[in-house]
Amino acid sequence: MSVGARIRTLLRRHTYAFALLLVVVLLIVNISIQPNINWTNLLASFAPLAIAAIASTPSIISGRGGIDMSTSPVMTLSAIFFVSVLIPSGLGGIEAIPIVMLLGGAVGAAIGLIIVILRLSPIVVSLAAYFIVIGINLKIAPRPVLMQGDNWVTSLSGSFGPVPAALVSIAIPVAIWAILMSTSYGRNLYAIGGNDATAYSAGVPVSATRVIAFATGGAFAAFGGLVLVGLVRTADSSTSGAYTLMAIAAAALGGVSLTGGRGSVVGALLGAAAIFLIQSVLADLRMPPTWLPMVYGALLIVSVVLGSILLGQKKGART
Amino acid sequence: MHLGSPDTADALGAAGTGPLVRMVGIRKAFGPTVALRNADVEIRSGEIHALMGENGSGKSTLVKILSGVHAPDAGTIEIGGSAHKAFRSPNESLRNGIATVFQEVLTVETQTVLANLWLGSDGLFGTRRSKREKQRLAGEVLAQLVEIPPSLDALVGELELSDRQACAIARALLREPRLLILDEATSALDFDTRGRLFEVLRQRSAEGVGVVLISHRMDEVREIADRLTVLRSGETVATLDDDWTTPQLVTLMTGSDRLTDRRATTSDGREHGTVVLSTRDLRLATGSDPIDFTLRAGELVGLAGLEGQGQDLFIRALWGLPGAEGQVVRHTRAGTRTVASKYAAKRSGIAYVPRERRAESIFGWMSILENFNAATLRIDRRAGLLSGRAALARFERYAAKLKIKFGRPGDGIGTLSGGNQQKVIIARWLASDPDVLLLNDPTRGIDIGAKHDLYALLGELTEQGLAVVMLSTEVEEHIELMDRVLVFRENELAAEFTKGELDRDRLVGSFFSDEGSGR
Repeated sequence: MSVGARIRTLLRRHTYAFALLLVVVLLIVNISIQPNINWTNLLASFAPLAIAAIASTPSIISGRGGIDMSTSPVMTLSAIFFVSVLIPSGLGGIEAIPIVMLLGGAVGAAIGLIIVILRLSPIVVSLAAYFIVIGINLKIAPRPVLMQGDNWVTSLSGSFGPVPAALVSIAIPVAIWAILMSTSYGRNLYAIGGNDATAYSAGVPVSATRVIAFATGGAFAAFGGLVLVGLVRTADSSTSGAYTLMAIAAAALGGVSLTGGRGSVVGALLGAAAIFLIQSVLADLRMPPTWLPMVYGALLIVSVVLGSILLGQKKGART
Repeated sequence: MHLGSPDTADALGAAGTGPLVRMVGIRKAFGPTVALRNADVEIRSGEIHALMGENGSGKSTLVKILSGVHAPDAGTIEIGGSAHKAFRSPNESLRNGIATVFQEVLTVETQTVLANLWLGSDGLFGTRRSKREKQRLAGEVLAQLVEIPPSLDALVGELELSDRQACAIARALLREPRLLILDEATSALDFDTRGRLFEVLRQRSAEGVGVVLISHRMDEVREIADRLTVLRSGETVATLDDDWTTPQLVTLMTGSDRLTDRRATTSDGREHGTVVLSTRDLRLATGSDPIDFTLRAGELVGLAGLEGQGQDLFIRALWGLPGAEGQVVRHTRAGTRTVASKYAAKRSGIAYVPRERRAESIFGWMSILENFNAATLRIDRRAGLLSGRAALARFERYAAKLKIKFGRPGDGIGTLSGGNQQKVIIARWLASDPDVLLLNDPTRGIDIGAKHDLYALLGELTEQGLAVVMLSTEVEEHIELMDRVLVFRENELAAEFTKGELDRDRLVGSFFSDEGSGR
């Protein structure tokens, strides 16, 4: 095998290579501009985007354009539910984690079931869910609700001993996902994303696999809601949509193929890190933040183009 | 695992000749189209049973009912003594010991060979086998099927078509089915893999497995099938033991004697016209011998050889696609010009019908008419706007000429059988009024009736002066149809036969060695 072919094979398997390179470069730039970074704070403000990106990934991998628009509203729903329902009823402790994850999982499962049973396009269903969940958020909390006093979730933006707490909160969904991926579910998920007709004819439980992907994403998003509220101490229904597009962009930047079957949660995480670090570098350079969206867009294009060039797109060459 | 366990072996019966599957009175309609009226099939364990019939005869539907893709409207399926109304999904069919390999090479390109081979054999979360065991078994099955098996870690998307199909077949074999269905599964295989597959099939059937084979290759059926069932218009017309003759079978399938061949419709030894296309120093791979080829108006030239020996590169080079060195030159009355791209090819009157109909030709969600005029929209413009009426008139002319059977021009292309879809695609390119028509294995997976229509059409077109280059994997087509056959081996032109020199043994022989070659 030639060197070129070997590199292509490597990149085909590690589609996050570009995002990784970007993160390394941006970290170096960041550190050289601002040598005394407060890592705990930096990571804490990174965590919500990171988890949103992770939450977007399972449904995208499941294919058929499985973009879940509801990730961000579900995060907010979870935050609002925690502050204005769970805390007042004495369930504000660590038991809130499974409760909100069940809630988010139920929303995701509902989206997945509608997609599978009615055979609708995922993006349409999740877009509908996006509006419905935002509506629910507005209903429960028409005005921002402040979290009174300190709570265990606020410590998620601090540190556990020397370890930034954000690392732990990012590690939780990553670990759950890693366990799930080491079962046959992982192979089934990538198979239905890669080619769902093949998977179906081979006897893969396609529908169940897809529904579980959406449910898992919902559960992760809900967990992200707790992390978010721990950071900002308010649950604000008016920012319900804040992470939607950023999360999807992060996944795409991290090499998660929006057509499904390719990419990983690690890639999405790296994509999120790249997006986050650009923001911080531009801030350090005193660039006006108005430039940010354009930079994101340009990077996304560059990464997708680079990805397809590096992959060599054998298919195209064959036609 | 449970399929390969001792209790399955018991269910099969030691004798291995009892009925394994019995389908009685199967009926299935898709909307107004009745695919199966009243089909009966009985498969014994330990036999290789061919299902024969034209496309649209219902054999694919029958098989899809067995494999759980479709549910029948009426009738019963008995397997291993227990009766079923229907299998609700491929999963349920597989759990009943039926594994199917479909014609459309069904693999997940983004996954490894190993993952593809075990696709669907695991539960939602759990798996019954260790990775080591999976690797061992997968390696064994692949080694049986392919001479140089791909690495288990290779991505399937990087493999050749034949190896991808071998993966799909290996997947079915790994399920240890008691009934194995091959629905045109061999058409994508190369020669060697096909031979190896037949060896495996004989071995499995000796162990009591029932095999259902759908194939358009008579030689294949003759070589391997113990019995065959003939379907016509959704009904079983006969079940034959292996003492059939080809004409007898054709009569049963078509319901009439329809063995037209081109020799009957065109005159032999006809003078061909002027040179329309030539190649100069065309090399299909760096360092291989150059090919100098000239094509004359009215000529029908066949490209033959084992799968992947360069004939595919050659025909696509004629269409102006990169991948070969050297020049392709188009000769017209106005002069000569180099064909350097597919756009140049189209402009200079070269039309190309690609090999993979579904992937490269069909717009699956569009109508028959839209599929037809996709390449020639320009002609239907009236004052800059597209005229539906002009398109329709044009389509009906070609539909009559090519004998396309369809409901309404506005129906989805998917409502047509494979043969009729192919005719629509050929009509699409004929409508661009080409001087040179390049056909890349146009009869692959289409029924005999449609094939004969196509042969007759080619006869007519060449008589009118169209030059045709046709890649075919069927030896019979080269012998029956072609004025000239080029045989490719290892990206070089290995032999060239003119019509008079062609016979089966010489042609097939030339695929393998220099003996019997025409030069």
